[in-house]
Amino acid sequence: MTAVRTETEAAPAVSVSSSKEPKRFRLSNWDAKYTPYLIIAPFFLVFGIFGLYPLVYTAWVSLHEWQLIDGNLGFVGFANYAELFGDTKFWNALFNTLSLFVLSTVPQLLAALGLAALLDRGLRGSAFWRAGVLLPNVISVAAVALVFAQFFGRDFGIVNFLLGLVGVDPIDWRAETWASHLAVSTMVMWRWTGYNALLYLAAMQSVPKDMYESATLDGASRWRMFWSITVPSIRPTILFTVVTSTIGGLQLFAEPALFDPGFAANNSTGGSDRQFQTLVLYMYEKGFRLFDAGYAATIAWMLFVVVLLVAIVNFTLTRRIAGKE
Amino acid sequence: MSRRLVGSVAATLVVVLAAGCGGSSGADGKIELSLGLFSDFGYDKLIEEYMASHSNIKIEQRKVKMEQHNTQLATQLAGGRGAADIVALEEGVVSQFRASKDKFVNLAEYGAKDLKDQWAGWKWNQGTADNGEFVLGLGTDMGSLGLCYRADLFAAAGLPTDRTEVAKLWPTWADYAKVADQFTAKTPNVKFVDTGRNVYKAILDQTEEGYFAKDDSYIAEKNDKVKTAFDTAAALGTKQQTGALEPFSQDWNVALKQGSFATTTCPAWALALIKAGAGDAAAGKWDVTTAPGGGGNWGGSFLAIPKQGKHPKEAYELAKWLTAPEQQKRIFKETGNLPSQPKVYQDAEVQATVNEYFNKAPVGQIFATSAESLKPTYRGTKDSKVGPVFATALTRVEQGKQSAAEAWTQALKEATDAAK
Repeated sequence: MTAVRTETEAAPAVSVSSSKEPKRFRLSNWDAKYTPYLIIAPFFLVFGIFGLYPLVYTAWVSLHEWQLIDGNLGFVGFANYAELFGDTKFWNALFNTLSLFVLSTVPQLLAALGLAALLDRGLRGSAFWRAGVLLPNVISVAAVALVFAQFFGRDFGIVNFLLGLVGVDPIDWRAETWASHLAVSTMVMWRWTGYNALLYLAAMQSVPKDMYESATLDGASRWRMFWSITVPSIRPTILFTVVTSTIGGLQLFAEPALFDPGFAANNSTGGSDRQFQTLVLYMYEKGFRLFDAGYAATIAWMLFVVVLLVAIVNFTLTRRIAGKE
Repeated sequence: MSRRLVGSVAATLVVVLAAGCGGSSGADGKIELSLGLFSDFGYDKLIEEYMASHSNIKIEQRKVKMEQHNTQLATQLAGGRGAADIVALEEGVVSQFRASKDKFVNLAEYGAKDLKDQWAGWKWNQGTADNGEFVLGLGTDMGSLGLCYRADLFAAAGLPTDRTEVAKLWPTWADYAKVADQFTAKTPNVKFVDTGRNVYKAILDQTEEGYFAKDDSYIAEKNDKVKTAFDTAAALGTKQQTGALEPFSQDWNVALKQGSFATTTCPAWALALIKAGAGDAAAGKWDVTTAPGGGGNWGGSFLAIPKQGKHPKEAYELAKWLTAPEQQKRIFKETGNLPSQPKVYQDAEVQATVNEYFNKAPVGQIFATSAESLKPTYRGTKDSKVGPVFATALTRVEQGKQSAAEAWTQALKEATDAAK
């Protein structure tokens, strides 16, 4: 990398003094112009193979009657899409996805912001705390889901036990829509809050301290400083986390899948009445259990559109909320 | 610099591609065969023996969970690579894979038809297509039905505990439901059965036609037997006599350990699962007896050979050996998986087998008798798509979310869609 940078930086200097050496001039000019593209080319190559090609291929599959094992059974145009728009299970999955997304992402990012602010205040043993908040993210999602599924057990779960201590009747966490969404969101929050908090913390540490000093002199409260100085200063990071959480949150799969005890057996519908079946779970059911790859591809494409739309909306909203440029 | 970079990328690609093209003949010149299995087929020792007697063959077992196994196999068949040389197909999904039989080797080409008489007729038929011309798989075990019960919980409810006496309590499933009422009246805090879903499945597995008629036409909405089975199971759910548990799940294991239900339907292969879940503390408390309504079959598998494998002949020889009578008998003694071959389950030694954990129950005799009387259910091509719809419907009843009638209506509608 460094070698490349010196070469390209040296290029203009060479061009000034090289009128007597036209051949070398041309060579270094070419170098300056095209080397950067060559360097980033592998990314686009890999993206093309593993990103773009599957995307286009999925679109192609979605226009066909396509059985998972036997493959293409004929072109059907937009019939799969037409069926999808009339499919109540699809709308149910879309609702669940959005509900789970809001329930998990909003509190998660707010909590991360608060956590980062606390960590930023220079606690004793800060390295320990900082590593600690990342720990839930390092643990495999399967392990997390296994533990949480037991926490939220109906008969012998610890959550119901604790609720029982304060006189609340046991809740069948997998039977009710709201209860299941709450449980699954908890799992997501547990995994990602610390990760986002660290991103915020890194951004917060680059906020100039003299801004806080002058605000203190002006008599601003901590709360006021946080919202008027810290948050607007780390806006790019907030935007980044909002977009990545949107993409991740809308593709929720492992947590609800492992929360459903039926997933290991033959019926992975995300609850007895699809109470917490997300779009990706529905896609999985159609594609890999019912072997209807054409329809699954259609769901995948709709998911892509939904993610794109929500990401754009969130990006614009957050830009407004976190202060103007 | 740039050229060097391109060079190194190219070199990396070559390495990656080369690594991806590993052949299935090992460095030592041995033929490598892989076995794609789920749960416990009891093959560990047998495979070692086979390798010892066939020095040119190396065998590798791949075990994953059943759902994952089926999904993986489907994608491997679709992709044309990656499948094991021999794959296990469970009875519930064999019809689904039979629809894609072009992806499998017709074992008749290697003379499998000569082996036909080893198996119970129905077991052989399940593994074939085109009126027996296409042999898709060789049968491994079968899952003839029994009923497991906790003798100590029965005693607490004032019911008989001896297995012949218990069997007399429930000649039919209606009688079984009556016993449930008596049990609940005495000990209301213990559930009579783990889940209504398995009761439903057991009843349905005792009929010759379930969701599909033998011509593969969809008949669930007009088949009284489906409705009767559903109503019987749903009634247990409505009366909260079931634990509303997902069968064989973590919660199910915990409930077993806590002794919170008293009966469960048990095909031969389920004994090992119950033992594992309930643990040593419950040794001798569980017992096995005859299931209400006669014999039925739930589960059991086949060994099939995907066409994409490089050594179909050697794979066939291995599958043939693993499913041969002598080996089935040994597997039964080790794991309790019931042989699918009459000569084996009628064998005196098999018949005399007792299960220590289940209060020394004569499992050989119980399951063999059940196997003799069973009428296997015809499994339609879309059986595995329709079945789960009714299972989740029963869960909704057990969860108190829907009445039996509402759940039935919704299930029929979803099932009709799934069978399209």
